[in-house]
Amino acid sequence: MDSSSALSQPNFYDFLNRMRHPASADLVRAIKSFIVSFSFHATDADNDSRKLQDFLVTMETTIKEHPLWVHASHEELDSAIEGLEKYVMTKLFNRTFASSSEDVKADLDVSEKIRLLQHFIRPDHLDVPRVLHNEASWLFAAKELQKINTFKAPREKLLCIMNCCRIINNLLLNISMSSNYVPAGADDFLPVLIYVTIKANPPQLHSNLKFIQLFRRNSKLVSEVEYYLTNLISAETFITNINASSLSMEESEFEKNMQLAKLANEETAARHGSILQLSGDDALTTRRHGKEIHVNLEGCEYPFMESEAKDLTVEDVQQLLRLYQHVVTRYTRLTKALARLSLHEERLLHTMKDPASSTELKKEIEKWLHKGILD
Amino acid sequence: MGCSSSLPDRNAGRLGSLNSGNSMVTDSKNLRVKLVLLGDSGVGKSCIVLRFVRGQFDPTSKVTVGASFLSQTLALQDSTTVKFEIWDTAGQERYAALAPLYYRGAAVAVVVYDITSPESFVKAKYWVKELQKHASPDIIMALVGNKADLHENRSVSVQDAQDYAEKNGMFFIETSAKTANNINQLFEEIAKRLPRTTPSS
Ligand SMILES: Nc1nc2c(ncn2[C@@H]2O[C@H](COP(=O)(O)OP(=O)(O)OP(=O)(O)O)[C@@H](O)[C@H]2O)c(=O)[nH]1
Ligand SMILES: [Mg+2]
Repeated sequence: MDSSSALSQPNFYDFLNRMRHPASADLVRAIKSFIVSFSFHATDADNDSRKLQDFLVTMETTIKEHPLWVHASHEELDSAIEGLEKYVMTKLFNRTFASSSEDVKADLDVSEKIRLLQHFIRPDHLDVPRVLHNEASWLFAAKELQKINTFKAPREKLLCIMNCCRIINNLLLNISMSSNYVPAGADDFLPVLIYVTIKANPPQLHSNLKFIQLFRRNSKLVSEVEYYLTNLISAETFITNINASSLSMEESEFEKNMQLAKLANEETAARHGSILQLSGDDALTTRRHGKEIHVNLEGCEYPFMESEAKDLTVEDVQQLLRLYQHVVTRYTRLTKALARLSLHEERLLHTMKDPASSTELKKEIEKWLHKGILD
Repeated sequence: MGCSSSLPDRNAGRLGSLNSGNSMVTDSKNLRVKLVLLGDSGVGKSCIVLRFVRGQFDPTSKVTVGASFLSQTLALQDSTTVKFEIWDTAGQERYAALAPLYYRGAAVAVVVYDITSPESFVKAKYWVKELQKHASPDIIMALVGNKADLHENRSVSVQDAQDYAEKNGMFFIETSAKTANNINQLFEEIAKRLPRTTPSS
C-alpha cells in the first residue's frame, strides 16, 4: 500500500519549534486569529469544514513564501502543513468532533447494532471465503480500529484506518502466496473489513468517519487513502442497514438472533462493571464437557450445581471463579438495594414460604409507590 | 472467484504518490484519473484490471496484484501520461447498494458484461442508468463486452451493444481478459477521451 502520503511521520515538534521562532510571529497571529474566529459562530460542521480547508490552502501558500521556509524541500513544506492541521484541529476538537446530537445518536445506533451482530454474525454471512478465515490476524486489524479515539488529529485517526486495511491486505496477500488461492480484490477485501469492523466495534465510528472526511486536508484524501476510507464508510453503511436479506438469512432467524442478542446484552449490562467479561466469544454460552449450557443467572441454570470437585478442569475453575464473582456482586447489589428500601432480606425470603406475608408486603410496596418513595 | 488463466504476480510493491489537487488533474501533462468498474458478478472485472496492470509494466514493478485498489500509468504518444487509479468494487449481490459510495467523484466508469450472458447485459444497462442518475454528469462511460474469446457461446450481439452504447454516449469495445485481446486498447481509448485542461495549441 501507499506509504508516502498517509504513513510518513511529519515532525510535529519541528513545526512547533518553527512557530516559536520570532520570524514566524505573523504565522502564529494568523493561526490564533483563525482559531478564535470560530468562537463567533455556532457550530456548523459543513461551514467549519470549509473554513478549515480554505485556511489550510491559504496557509500552504503563505508558508511556501515564508522566509523561514525558503530553502525547504517539498517534504518539509508538507510536514509543516501536517503540523498546522494537527495543531488547529486539536484546538478545535471539542467543537468539531461528534458535535451534533445527530452524530451522537448515530454513534450510539451503530455501536448498539454492532453489539447485537457480534453475537451471531459469522464470516460466511458476509461471503468471506473459507480459505481467508483467520481470526488471529483479524484481531490485529480490529485493534488498529479500536485505537482511533486515542488520537485527535484527523491524519492520525485516518492512519488507524489505513493500518487496519494494510493488515487485512497483507493477510490476503500471504494467503494467496501460501496457497493456490487466487485473490479476488474487493470481493475479498470488503467482506473481511466489514467483519473486522463488527469485531472491533470502533468507538464513535460514525463521528470519526465524518470528522476525517470534513477535516483531513482535502489534497490528502485522494487515491489509495480515499479508497480505503471509502471502504470503511461503506462498511458502516452496510452495518447500519444490515437485515435478514443482506446476510442471506431467513427473516425469522434474523429476528430471533437479534432478540437473543438483545437479551444477552441486557444481562451483561445488568452486571456491567462488576464482573470480568466472559472471555472469547461474547455470547453468554459456555462450553462444558462438549455441550453448550446457557448461563442464565435469572433463571437459575447454573452449570456447576451438580458437579463434584474431582470433575473440575482448570478451565472450569476459571469459569467457576467468574460465575462466583458474578453471583457475589449481584447479591451484594441486591442486598444494598433492599437496604435502601428498608426491606429486610429475611422478610423477603419469608414471603416465599408464607403467601399471607407476601400479600402484606405487596400492599406495603403499593403504598410506597403511591407516595413516590420508590422513584 | 479468481482469474483462472494464470496466477498473478506476487510482487508486493508500493506506488508512492503525493498527488495533490482534485479528482482528476495533477497537471496538464500528467493526469490522475479515478476509474470504477461496474457489472454483474463474474463478468470479469477483476480479471480485466489484473490483465491491464500486469501486462503493462515489467512484472517486477510497482503493483500489488490482487489488491482492490490498483493503479497503472499509461504513457501516451503525445508524451503525456495518464495514471489510472482503479477502484474495484465488491461484486456480491449483498454489496450492490454500496456502489454509489464508490462511483461518486469518479472520472471514468467502465461497465462490463459477459457476451455469453444476456442477464449480465441487462445488468450493465441497469448500471448505466444508475450512473446517469447519480454519478458526476461529465463522467466518461465505457461499455465493455468481456469474454470475447467465448464467441461460440455469444448471446449478446455486437450490434445490440454498439447501438445501446451510441444511444447513451458511451464508448464500446469487446475484450478478453483471458487472451488479453483489446485490454490495452480499452484503456487507451479511455485516455483519449479524457478532457485536457490546457489543450495543446
Ligand atoms: N473465458 C473467459 N473467462 C474469463 C474472462 N474474464 C474473466 N473470466 C473468468 O470469469 C470468472 C469471473 O471473473 P472475475 O474477474 O472474478 O469477475 P468479476 O466481474 O470481478 O466478478 P465479481 O468480483 O464477483 O463481481 C473467472 O473464473 C475468470 O476466470 C475472459 O475474458 N474470458
Ligand atoms: Mg471482482
